[in-house]
Amino acid sequence: MNIKIAGLIILLLSLFSFNTSAHKSLVKPTEITIELALKQQSGEYHRPYVASWIESSKGKSVRTLLLWREQAKWLKDIRRWWRKAGRKDAELVDGITAATRAAGKFQLSFLAQNDDQINLNKGRYTLFIEVVRENGGRAIIRQPFNLNGSKETFTLAATNETDQIKFSVLPQ
Amino acid sequence: MNLKTLIIIALTCAISTQAFAHSRWVLPTHFNLSAENGEWIMVDITASNETFNVDKAMGADYVQIITPSGEVTRPSSTYKGHRKSVADYFLASSGTYKLTNNNKPAYMTTYKVGEERKRIWANKAEFAGKLPKNAKEIKTSYRFARIESYVTMNAPTENFATDGTLLELVPVTHPSDIAENEQVTFKFLFNGKAQKNVAVEVIADGARYRNDPQALKLISNEKGEINFTPTSAGRYLLVAEHQENMSDSTLADKQVGSVFLTFEAQLN
Repeated sequence: MNIKIAGLIILLLSLFSFNTSAHKSLVKPTEITIELALKQQSGEYHRPYVASWIESSKGKSVRTLLLWREQAKWLKDIRRWWRKAGRKDAELVDGITAATRAAGKFQLSFLAQNDDQINLNKGRYTLFIEVVRENGGRAIIRQPFNLNGSKETFTLAATNETDQIKFSVLPQ
Repeated sequence: MNLKTLIIIALTCAISTQAFAHSRWVLPTHFNLSAENGEWIMVDITASNETFNVDKAMGADYVQIITPSGEVTRPSSTYKGHRKSVADYFLASSGTYKLTNNNKPAYMTTYKVGEERKRIWANKAEFAGKLPKNAKEIKTSYRFARIESYVTMNAPTENFATDGTLLELVPVTHPSDIAENEQVTFKFLFNGKAQKNVAVEVIADGARYRNDPQALKLISNEKGEINFTPTSAGRYLLVAEHQENMSDSTLADKQVGSVFLTFEAQLN
């Protein structure tokens, strides 16, 4: 192989990789909205620890959407999220941490991207919402959805820890 | 496949009655922890046939904790009561710790005098002159029991080193990944090689409160593996035993390895 051909190949490869990354950023990511509702409780009340995340069809966590927590000691109690995502990536946990919230409704909006802000591929995913409260209970909500360019909306049934939650997948 | 199906399959395999000795275990307060600056655990050590109610205290003298970096450490303190021993231990760094309470491999000779069964810790070369003249059914075994568990703080690591002595359990499914309704795979080695036909029982916590102990009986396959799916979250004791004849040994008639592994299946 002479130098010219090698140079040409490198040039082509760089154009190709440039094009793919440009392509990715040009596609507008799907928007995901959640109207999260933490249930009003009676008696002793500690604000719940909450995590919401997206798993691939193979059960791998691809994106943690939110984490409301206080002490690291109790992160393990958000059982599935801790096993699937939290324990494996301390930086992600630090980066996404927010304070716990009292009972109420929360309008949340996210982009359908992975933890590295890359758009998620088309396919079937599951949204998880896990709520754990000291001296209270635990609730885990799972809702499969599709990223395929069409709009989907779901009403997630109330649990001991949550009221009805609205969840929408909104291609832009 | 669920636990019931597995039980049915296992039953149809018509396993011969196991002669498992007393169960033993190490039971940590936590199997999975999250912490920024380390965390304490305590470990119960007992011999009991009632999972997980303690019965007879085993000493904690042999308790070792292998850290994620492979260092062999000891509990910071231990206490021996009448029903159990307790060990205190601080997990300083992230990763998977292996807890063990293993004695050393040893020769045991059993015999009968009249109808009474007796035993002596000696091999065939050593027991000469030590047994009564009317001793019958003299059998010597070379045996080693592994009493173990795994505790993971933050991200799990592979802390599964083997030493090739008699029976060993190698987690294929990481112990910190075990969750209800998900298949678990463990592999057995005997003297360092994959071992088929290892007899295994998996017993869920709370045996005192069940009429049927509901022990799940399994046998390792050609690859030395067992597969099962815990259908509920909770703590489990796995008891495995395997023996081989030692016809060419002048010290023992057979070699017997056993493993007592404590683990938890997490909520999913």
